[in-house]
Order: sequence, then structure tokens, then C-alpha cells
Amino acid sequence: MKSTLRNPTVYMLFILPTIMLYFLFFIYPMLSSVYYGFTDWNGLDDTSFVGFDNFVKAFSDANFINSIKNNIYFILFSVFIQVPLIIFFAILIGGVKRFQGLYKTTVFMPSLISTAVIGILWGFIYEPEVGLLNNFLSLFGVETIYWLADPNWALLAVLITNAWQWMGFFIILILAAILAIPKEMNEAADIDGTTGFQRAVYITVPLIKPIISVVIMLSIAGAMKVIDIVLVMTNGGPIGSTEVMASYMVTKAIRYSEYGYGTSLSIIIFAFALVLTAIYQLVFVRNQERVEY
Amino acid sequence: MPTAIKRAFPHFILFIYVGVILLPFVFIIFSSLKESNIEIAENPFGFPVELVFENYVEAWVKAKINVYFFNSLYLSFSSAIVGVILAAATAFAVTRMKFAGASKWIYQFVLVGMLIPGNVLFIAQYLLVNKLGILNTHWALFLPCTAGALPISVLLIAAFMKAIPSELEEAAIVDGLGSIGLFARIILPITMPALVTVFIINFLGVWNEYLLANFFISKDSLRTLPTGMVGFRDAFQTNYALICAGIIYSVIPVLILYAFLQEKIIDGITAGGVKG
Repeated sequence: MKSTLRNPTVYMLFILPTIMLYFLFFIYPMLSSVYYGFTDWNGLDDTSFVGFDNFVKAFSDANFINSIKNNIYFILFSVFIQVPLIIFFAILIGGVKRFQGLYKTTVFMPSLISTAVIGILWGFIYEPEVGLLNNFLSLFGVETIYWLADPNWALLAVLITNAWQWMGFFIILILAAILAIPKEMNEAADIDGTTGFQRAVYITVPLIKPIISVVIMLSIAGAMKVIDIVLVMTNGGPIGSTEVMASYMVTKAIRYSEYGYGTSLSIIIFAFALVLTAIYQLVFVRNQERVEY
Repeated sequence: MPTAIKRAFPHFILFIYVGVILLPFVFIIFSSLKESNIEIAENPFGFPVELVFENYVEAWVKAKINVYFFNSLYLSFSSAIVGVILAAATAFAVTRMKFAGASKWIYQFVLVGMLIPGNVLFIAQYLLVNKLGILNTHWALFLPCTAGALPISVLLIAAFMKAIPSELEEAAIVDGLGSIGLFARIILPITMPALVTVFIINFLGVWNEYLLANFFISKDSLRTLPTGMVGFRDAFQTNYALICAGIIYSVIPVLILYAFLQEKIIDGITAGGVKG
């Protein structure tokens, strides 16, 4: 009877298409990345093996260092500004009964929409003359700000847009954990006469620590690979003030055909992501005992 | 603090947040119905003086939103369907068929893909697509997107299939079903909730995809909505009413889907986001 499920032809038929597609567009590009990263290939001339030259070049390339700095701003902004706000809003939504569905629906909505469209939408809001933001600020007498054209403001403008898009997604993640906290906990706290603030700090946050840790991890990962929003809103400008590692890599490879160098940048990005994840796991996750209700 | 105020306070804060989310959309809707930039600039928060629906007609035809729209629709749909079928077949083979040794390796091999952030492979994929001669065709988008969604799809569907009791398939086999029949007529229908989730994740993934679409496809008639919209913005930089109408077109289908499948979408995307 079991022989039906031991048919090797069917097994191969079910496995092979996936494996082939996966190999061709995932494994092969991974292997070829490692190869190209150590060459000086530019799409035209003969390719030669250059050892670690590309990697040495990357760390003395002022533009690349600048883009690393901007990725760090993305990480700091998401971890120290977005995450506390996310926890705050999630606790607020978890605490109300009326309109909870409405809040959930609305807050999550932006994470569904294409980054390209959000970039266009916010580009319009930031528009100096007709945009919503300057018109609003002018009510308070603020002078025209060239949000996306001024190197002092452009990165902040992109960071805010990015936060607007993704905060709801993380709020929903944390909210799910908050709603899973047994009711008895909160009832006991009520009997003890805690304030909402005390309950949040001493009961809710400690209980949802594991999911907060996941959210921080995902935020860092997201900040490392951010690219679409930058390409659409500023294309890395003005004068490199919003350039991130991924956008710099793409520009180098596609616009300047420096495939070898570009690929080595992508390997560096991958290495950074691995190292950050590892550090985070070692420092924070390991020290955390499992929460049990 | 009186209880009434205490109760209202969270709602007050949350309404501000909801306002920050919704206001841009309201602004876009109003602007899309205004006659010109002058009207938008003079009265940015106000209702349009006269509803100018021509913007929608003009954007749909002149800006070729219709072309981008259908490109996006059929690419997202076909990639999501093919992805679901491939992932379901693989998940079935790995979890239900009796090749435990091979299955364990294949499963691990596919899941490794989830460790690699998509854009790290961008240049290598570009060169590959170029080498295959499919640059500037829809294949250049379809194949990498479908492949890229496989690891998480296999993971989600396999997790679901593992939980199906084996008595069920034994009964089906006694009744004379072969393994393909078992897969198509018993396992697939039971797995439907997971398949729908995976379909939604994959569909939205392709619908919103920008990086590959931007660099792998430069022919205007092949563009998808996100890249088409950006090109449209760059071309009509000064006509905001028209651009806003374009934004509405690209947002509406997703929001309609969201209105009907809200729970499913939220569950699917958060599952995809956490594990992916």
C-alpha cells in the first residue's frame, strides 16, 4: 500500500522543477557572485583575477563609506525612534476595545502598497510649492523647505517615509503578542490598582520581550537592505546624502558597468548583515530566558 | 484624572496616528480631481472646486497606466500561481512521500535561500538574465521573482502538510488513488488555507516589486505598475493632478483585495515577514 508514496518518478517530477529554478536563480548567482567579486570584470575587457583588491578599494572608497554611514542612520532611526513608537502604539491599540479593528486595518495599510508608489506619493507631499507638508508648516510661519533637494533634509525625509510605510507592519506583529497575554494577568494588575503606565512597563513589555527582539532584528535587516525608497525618491542624491550601500552597489554595476567591483560590494553587504545578526543573537537573544505565562 | 478623559486619551493619540496614515491618501484623492497645480497649491487641504474626472481618463490612456496595470496583473498572477504549484508539489514530496533521507537534504537546501537577502544577488541575477538572453522580456521578472518566493512558500506549505493525519492518505490509497491523484484531490484541497496565504504573499511581492523591474525591463510597453508609475512621474513632473490619478489606479486594486481578505493578508504577510 505504501508503495504509492514510494514512486521515484513522481517524486522527481514534484521536486525537480523547484530545484532547477531555485538552483538557477539562487544558488548559481550566489556562487557566481563569489567569483565575480574577486575579478575586475567590466563587461567588455578581459576579466582577470584581482584577489582582494576590490575589497580593499571598497573600504577606501569615500562614497561607499558615506553610504555605510547612511545605512547606520537607517538602523539607528529604526531601532531608537521607530521601535519605541511601535511598542507605544501597539500597547495603546491593545488596550482599547472600541475601534480596535479600525486601528489595525488602517495602521497596516501602508505596508501593502508598493514602495515605488509610496515614494511618489511622499515626493508629492514633500513638494516645496504645492506639497502638503510645506503648506501645513507655513501655517506656523515656517519658510519653504526643499525637503528632497536639500542635503540637510533629504535623508530625514526618506527616513520618515520609510517609517510611515513599515511601522504598521511591526505594530501588528507586537499587537498579536499583546493580545495573546492571558486576561488573568491584566485582571490581577487591575485588582492591585496599577496605572496603565505601570502595567505597560512591568507587565506587558516584559512579557512581549521575545517579539520585540524579533522586531528589532527585522528592523535592522530591513535597514541593511533598504534600496527601493531611495531609488524612487532621491536616487541617492542630493550629493550622496541619501545614498545607501545597496543603491551604490546597483549604480556602480549598472551605470558604470563595474560588475566585479559591484559584486564585491554585494558580498560586503551580505557579510555585514551576517555579522550584525550574529552579534545581535550573541548579545541580546542568548541572555534572554524564555517567557512563560 | 477623571475616567472619561483617561478612556479617551488612547483614542486621541491613535486618531492622530490614523490621521497621519490617511491624510496623504485624502490629499492624493482630492488632488487627483483638481484642475491644475494652481488649484492644488492654492487650496491644498480643500475639496476640489469642480470634480475633474478627465484626469483619470487621461492617466489611463495617455500615461499608459492601462498597459502597466495589465502587465502587473498578469505577471503577479502567473508568478504567484506557478510559485504555489511548484512549492506545493515540492512540499508534498518532501513531507508526505517516503524518501526521508533525500527529503531532509532537499528541504534544508531550499530553506538556505531564506538567509540570503534578495538584493545581494541582484548583479549576479542581472548578468545571468543577460546571458540567458531574456533581458527586457517578462521572463526576466517572472523567473527570478518566482524562484525568490520558493523558499518561504515551501516552508509555509510544508509546515501545513506535515500536520495532515496519515490515516487520510491511507484511506485514499486504499480507494485506489495514485500519488498524483492523492496530491491533487486530497492533499491540495486540505492545504487550501496555506495555499491562499502563499498566493497572497507571492502576488503582492511581484505586484510591488521595483528593483528587478526597474533594471531588467526598460521597454515601456513591458513595464509594470511600480516602474511605469516612476517613469510616468518623471515624464509628467509638473502635472500633479495626473500623477495623483495614476497613484490611485495603482493603489485601488490592492486596497480592494485588502478589504475582502484583510485577516488573511495580515496573517500571510506577517508570517512571510517573520520567517523570510
